[in-house]
Amino acid sequence: MRVTTTAVLLATVTLLAACDDKPTPTPASSPSVSAAPSGGARALTSGALPHAAAAPVALAGDAAEGQRLVEQYECSRCHQGTGQPAPKLALDCVGCHQQILAGKFPASPAKLAEWKPHVAYYQETPSLEALGRRLEPAYLVAFLQRPEDVRPHLVPSMPRLPLSAEQATHVAAYLTRGERPKAQRLDGADPAHGRALLENKSCGSCHEFSGVAPLTARPKPGVGSEEQQRAIRLAPDLRHTRDRWSPGALVEWLLEPERVKPGTLMPSHSLSPAEARDLAAYLLTTPLEPPRLKALPVRLPVLSRRVRYAEVVEQVIGVTCRHCHGDADLTLGDGGPGNTGGFGFTPRRMDLSTYERTNAGLLNAQGERESVFAKLPDGTPRLVASLIARQREEAGQVDPQVRGMPLGLPALSAEQVQLVESWVAQGRPR
Amino acid sequence: MTHPKRIPGSFLAALTACAALTGLSSSALACGGDWGPAMLEYEQDHRPFAVSLAEQQLEDGKLVAAAASVIRSMPHVRTLSAKKSTVVARAQRTLAVALVRSGGALSLKGQVPVYARGKWEGKSQADRQANLEWAAGALRAVSATKADDPSVKTELAEALARLESHRQEARGILEELAKKDLIASPEGYAALAELRRAAGDEPGQRAAAERCRAMAGEGAGLCGAPASAKS
Ligand code: HEC
Ligand code: HEC
Ligand code: HEC
Ligand code: HEC
Repeated sequence: MRVTTTAVLLATVTLLAACDDKPTPTPASSPSVSAAPSGGARALTSGALPHAAAAPVALAGDAAEGQRLVEQYECSRCHQGTGQPAPKLALDCVGCHQQILAGKFPASPAKLAEWKPHVAYYQETPSLEALGRRLEPAYLVAFLQRPEDVRPHLVPSMPRLPLSAEQATHVAAYLTRGERPKAQRLDGADPAHGRALLENKSCGSCHEFSGVAPLTARPKPGVGSEEQQRAIRLAPDLRHTRDRWSPGALVEWLLEPERVKPGTLMPSHSLSPAEARDLAAYLLTTPLEPPRLKALPVRLPVLSRRVRYAEVVEQVIGVTCRHCHGDADLTLGDGGPGNTGGFGFTPRRMDLSTYERTNAGLLNAQGERESVFAKLPDGTPRLVASLIARQREEAGQVDPQVRGMPLGLPALSAEQVQLVESWVAQGRPR
Repeated sequence: MTHPKRIPGSFLAALTACAALTGLSSSALACGGDWGPAMLEYEQDHRPFAVSLAEQQLEDGKLVAAAASVIRSMPHVRTLSAKKSTVVARAQRTLAVALVRSGGALSLKGQVPVYARGKWEGKSQADRQANLEWAAGALRAVSATKADDPSVKTELAEALARLESHRQEARGILEELAKKDLIASPEGYAALAELRRAAGDEPGQRAAAERCRAMAGEGAGLCGAPASAKS
């Protein structure tokens, strides 16, 4: 049963933490930075061929402040390549899951076997290495404030963090480290030949490319070597390329990904410079159909049958919520980001580990205790509102007032929300 | 993501952690100490696991089983200091709530060796009173470290409501929580209903009993007879 599993896991973590040796920091090379997007990339959506970088728009972020913020927001709990030391195992969301999958986590083989299927989908995130040679600073600033789902076969997404616009600018300055790709003109490049290359080189065996005529090769998630599957999970939908990359960066990337970002899973295709330019031209300029967003699930009427707490735990609370709204006593004081704080969130003290604690509410913006079942002005209980907010986020409707839950994970189904809502409406029977 | 090497054996880790958790002594033996033969079955500190089990049993309403799990793993639980160890604090809290909900008398026969039963069975009125007072004290200590946690406050109030001299205080706590719908358990609402009844607040009593029944589901017996049955 999941409930006891968590208790055992947490106890193990508690034990582990007692002898966790500190990793040595790897200081980031962090000169003071005035990152500048090369311009042009955004205008490409219209279909015009990109020209040389326009006058760079100064992005006046303070890299030193950015470094401090990356530490404060604990980006290294999910990402490599932040220039910060790896966190302690007990805090390392992705690293701990990787250890479990690799069989290195100190637990019994039986436990490991039981956990593995549950952590499989949360074992990688893109490394932030060499971001300055890849993504446009302006894109980064926008993405950090309002992350979008870039990788169709990667289950977790970048969580909506409480970063202000100004903070995002500092973080972008730090992460790009003042590195700028060479400017590049794509005059005379042949997008049609680029499309043909995309087919010939089987780029579609890893990448989705939504909004254009389907590629013949298709990613087959769950098939092939472990490395092939990881590559599929980490491969972005190529429709976003034009928002993210300048022509100069893109050509260099296509020519030799490994040189731009050592260790990347994107293979080199031994392209000639002309081929790389043709591909870049297609990626950056081919017309796109409007994005197909997930439909907002309907809100189902409350159930007339009895719903018990155990069922809500089994279907919802015990699945993902307790990983972030956990019991601090079991983990040397860290109850997860949704309880004792983390990822830059102030502690909301919302503990979903037991029935009684679920009833004990959370701290509101004024620092006062409030019930998670308290009704918002439209009559929706806060808990339910946060579940619906996640469904809305996936449908492209971000509500600045309500953060979607589960944070950075797929929204619940209409039936799961209905179950929670019915339970609350019935007076939340134990 | 690569991690620096860590000490692999969980046994070693457990011993180190045990001392850190209990704060009893840095000697590995302190994990078992002189607590009897039960320890021989374990190669590492089993108490965090025993306490987790006890908590689950309490949540499932198995009061005697929960108390027995605590007492078996910590026969001296009454005298241990919760301040230094969250495991002890959790153990004391679990035992205290189980005691309160069984009126200070736990029938531990067949569950706990005779030598460890002490006065927990509450055979005399004085023993029961002493047990309830210990429980209230233990929950007050927990509450002191978690001042803003309504689930802890609810349990403290539930215990205080059983002590004649502290019923006023209990009602104060519960009324405050009820205003914000933060009473964390049906037992908490049952205590409030009873306190309101004793104070002659009949509508208040009915309202609290109603909330108790909604939260208790099939276990609504603990909320007293429904209003209709009484009139
Ligand atoms: C809870 C885990 C988590 C945390 C914490 C987190 N991220 Fe992410 N981040 C992700 C995931 C998952 C993705 C991949 C999303 C996708 O591609 O759909 C991502 C994507 C990104 C990307 C896009 C990279 C690319 O190649 O597409 C950037 C940049 C980024 N994160 C920066 C940050 C920064 C900066 C922080 C700290 C302020 C941070 N992240 C904290 C999980 C996290
Ligand atoms: C010390 C190890 C460890 C750390 C640190 C850790 N996890 Fe996990 N995580 C696990 C284990 C073990 C499971 C599988 C539990 C199970 O099978 O019930 C898991 C499962 C999950 C699941 C999947 C639940 C499911 O079955 O769908 C999510 C989501 C998750 N963790 C998120 C996180 C996040 C977010 C963080 C960081 C805040 C984190 N984890 C940190 C060990 C860890
Ligand atoms: C084996 C799988 C695989 C194949 C085949 C592959 N890619 Fe990639 N590609 C990736 C991965 C993984 C990434 C993400 C790399 C990273 O962030 O480290 C990526 C990144 C990219 C990006 C950057 C996207 C972004 O928004 O950040 C572009 C553009 C790209 N690939 C184009 C191509 C093209 C064109 C081809 C065919 C010539 C191709 N890829 C073939 C796996 C693959
Ligand atoms: C990856 C970590 C994570 C997961 C998983 C998660 N939460 Fe949260 N949750 C948080 C954080 C962090 C906050 C604080 C957000 C803030 O202060 O804006 C929070 C806040 C909340 C809030 C309060 C929101 C508000 O309006 O103030 C609710 C309700 C909530 N979570 C419910 C859930 C539920 C239900 C689940 C499971 C379906 C869940 N959470 C899963 C991290 C998480």
